[in-house]
Amino acid sequence: MTDLIGELVQQVQHAYATKTPLKIEAGNTKAYLGRATSDEVINVADHSGVISYSPTELVIRARAGTKISQLNEVLAEQQQRLPFEPPAFSGEATIGGTVAANQSGPARPWFGGVKDSLLGLGLINGYGEAMQFGGQVMKNVAGFDVTRLQCGAMGSLGLITDVSIKVLPQFNAGHTLTFEMAAEEALEAMLRWANLSLPITGMSHVQSKNMLYIRLQGGESGVASASQLLGGAQVEPNAAEEFWQAVREGRLLQPQHNQTLWRWSGPRDAPIHSVPNTSLINWAGSERWVLADSSKLPENGLIQHQGGDRLAEVYGSITGPQKALKQRIKHAFDPHRVLNAGRVYSWM
Amino acid sequence: MDTHNATSQKQVNQGPAQSNVAALVSTLQELLPASSVVMSIESQRPFECDGLAVYQQLPLITVIPETVEQVQAILHLCYLHRVPLVPRGAGTGLCAGAMPHAEGVLLVMTKLNKIVHINHHAATATVQPGVRNLELTEAVAPFGLYYAPDPSSQIACTIGGNVAENSGGVHCLKYGLTVNNLLQVTLVTIEGQLMTFGGEGLDEPGMDLLSLMTGSEGLLGVVVEAKVKLLPRAPRVQVLMAAYDSVTAAGDAVAALIGQGIIPAGLEMMDHLAISAAEDFVKVGYPTSAQALLICELDGTDAEVEEQLALVTECFTQHGAWNIRIAKDDEEAAALWHGRKAAFPAVGRISPDYYCMDGTIPRSQVGYVLTRISELSQAYGLRVANVFHAGDGNLHPLILFDASIDGELEQAELLGADILTLCVDVGGTITGEHGVGLEKMPQMPYQFGDAELAQFRRLKAAFDSEELLNPGKGIPTLKYCQEYRSLQHG
Repeated sequence: MTDLIGELVQQVQHAYATKTPLKIEAGNTKAYLGRATSDEVINVADHSGVISYSPTELVIRARAGTKISQLNEVLAEQQQRLPFEPPAFSGEATIGGTVAANQSGPARPWFGGVKDSLLGLGLINGYGEAMQFGGQVMKNVAGFDVTRLQCGAMGSLGLITDVSIKVLPQFNAGHTLTFEMAAEEALEAMLRWANLSLPITGMSHVQSKNMLYIRLQGGESGVASASQLLGGAQVEPNAAEEFWQAVREGRLLQPQHNQTLWRWSGPRDAPIHSVPNTSLINWAGSERWVLADSSKLPENGLIQHQGGDRLAEVYGSITGPQKALKQRIKHAFDPHRVLNAGRVYSWM
Repeated sequence: MDTHNATSQKQVNQGPAQSNVAALVSTLQELLPASSVVMSIESQRPFECDGLAVYQQLPLITVIPETVEQVQAILHLCYLHRVPLVPRGAGTGLCAGAMPHAEGVLLVMTKLNKIVHINHHAATATVQPGVRNLELTEAVAPFGLYYAPDPSSQIACTIGGNVAENSGGVHCLKYGLTVNNLLQVTLVTIEGQLMTFGGEGLDEPGMDLLSLMTGSEGLLGVVVEAKVKLLPRAPRVQVLMAAYDSVTAAGDAVAALIGQGIIPAGLEMMDHLAISAAEDFVKVGYPTSAQALLICELDGTDAEVEEQLALVTECFTQHGAWNIRIAKDDEEAAALWHGRKAAFPAVGRISPDYYCMDGTIPRSQVGYVLTRISELSQAYGLRVANVFHAGDGNLHPLILFDASIDGELEQAELLGADILTLCVDVGGTITGEHGVGLEKMPQMPYQFGDAELAQFRRLKAAFDSEELLNPGKGIPTLKYCQEYRSLQHG
């Protein structure tokens, strides 16, 4: 529960003056993402704690090093939740890293991702200047959206110091239903049900179990009637929570030595055969996961999510003008490339 | 540490040399069909302002391209000749963001108006920027789908303009603004290059340029195509109205409802002046003795709506509602909404002119802020009607004035400026959904510090180093801020 903003600013200013690249780290749960780098660590973990929380405003503001598990606890006391249900990774993941890595859970298609709940943030740019963007109110269109720009930037545009998030009430009821079926049939069911305006908050198909999982969450009667409409077998609550947590934390598909986990993102109605060897369909079909030997080249459009050569351009190739633009944006925030250089692209 | 301000210290573009202009005009005439080039003063009059008509300016030339290639060529030409360019959709914006540049090209995007593709399985639509907001919702209705952001101008406003302004609407409490309903945009850069941000799926890796583009007010590029999310129409929609004796009581009811965990699809508030004006205009049966009115919309399955309706009516009653009207059918629901949606023109009937503000505040500050606005209203001698998105704290105070009375417009602007700084003082923002444009430039240095503004300018330069795209709007220059501050403290 300390404010270390002064120290963090000093460290970045020193890095700027001496052109020393820094690697931003807090809970160190996301080392598997992006490209591997080995710069001097600037540690944000101790810059933590909830700055303000107003349940009736549905807004919580916390320092970047605050753990997701702690936020979940604080919110649960007021029967509220993080709408994008990020992975907590054994309690070690922090809110700053979650925003930078843009990680959200199974409810993503229905309750939005990180950016949809993000209202504002504090950022130290590569000059070592502490700045504030966005705010703590629900709607804010003043100035460029530097806040949401950080989602997925992996700290390459600045060190996130604090985050303001829109929270939502917890659900009163929840059911998880299973349906034994093959991927093709499961995808059809997902598409059919996703367009029915039901209180659905999760749709995943696990290839190895030949099983479709549907999560319903909301008010008692809404969930009960949807559950009756869909049928299927009901999963015991603890087992259901365990399953969705495993989906959230990517534990269903852990690449072994010599294996790579590939992520596909696209329209949810893309036919099964358009992403061969899918092991897991998530987000009602709009996210698919392929676990394969690292020696095998991926199909087009897949992103090297975990495992394999982490010095390669894991986010794929990028065209000339877009590459130049991203370099100019990097330069606008961090001209000496002192913040997480090379983490997203080798050239950024 | 000062070197990084070098690019941003550059003055606003002073306009191109005369020879460049002549060359640009003749090339545009060669490039585009005659019907796409508008040069006479009379024909350009309709384009001299957007929805904020107090700011007017005729452009040098207006072009109305029909193809993406033409848009690319126009931007490329402006870049080559260093001529400013202002993009415009339907011109319904409320911050003078589309006001033309005297020495520049006005790029009207309304002829790129095709719905390119509707994928009802994936619940997405790909549209050109000139497609009207309501037209899209109507086109996808046969599939049981709709496009959620619904600004009051949805009959006329275009998706391209919605992306540029990050438009909201009465349903964004539950379903978000434009930024929350976009998957992908393709834009043309000032150099004339096509670029696509976002993707067909959710959460592409890397920095979120899609969100950066949304609400960038035409300062970074011109959107030529957007892929948007569609939502399934809820099987049941229930509208209700609740009347209160004070805005504070209504505000407390809103806070209590949301604190209880109920997020309605829409939750709007009107004050006494707005209620009376609306009722006089459209006669929907609002209780005109009420000091505040809440319009609440619930949606979902029958079971969900019934469950919520019971909780909402109980909460509203507990907080002093003396008249609760639950719409019996679609017709009554439409009538209850009609009064709210007609509030702006209704206020237009009781005053020669009105000026619409757009601050957002924490919900808990609603009572305090409305009291302060009332005091300011008395101090300036100008009436203020309040209509707002109560659920998300987005205020739309309407300042009533008469532009034909000498100095009254200036007084209205000063009152408006005081309201916006009040919003910032209580932890809010100068604009929730209308944008900064030209109008709110003076308040930008009040909301942001020098470091943030300099960062905005460097970001702008990464897209548009010559400051040709919508110059003089959205992001103030360093010089502008210094002048503003010296005036404030002078």
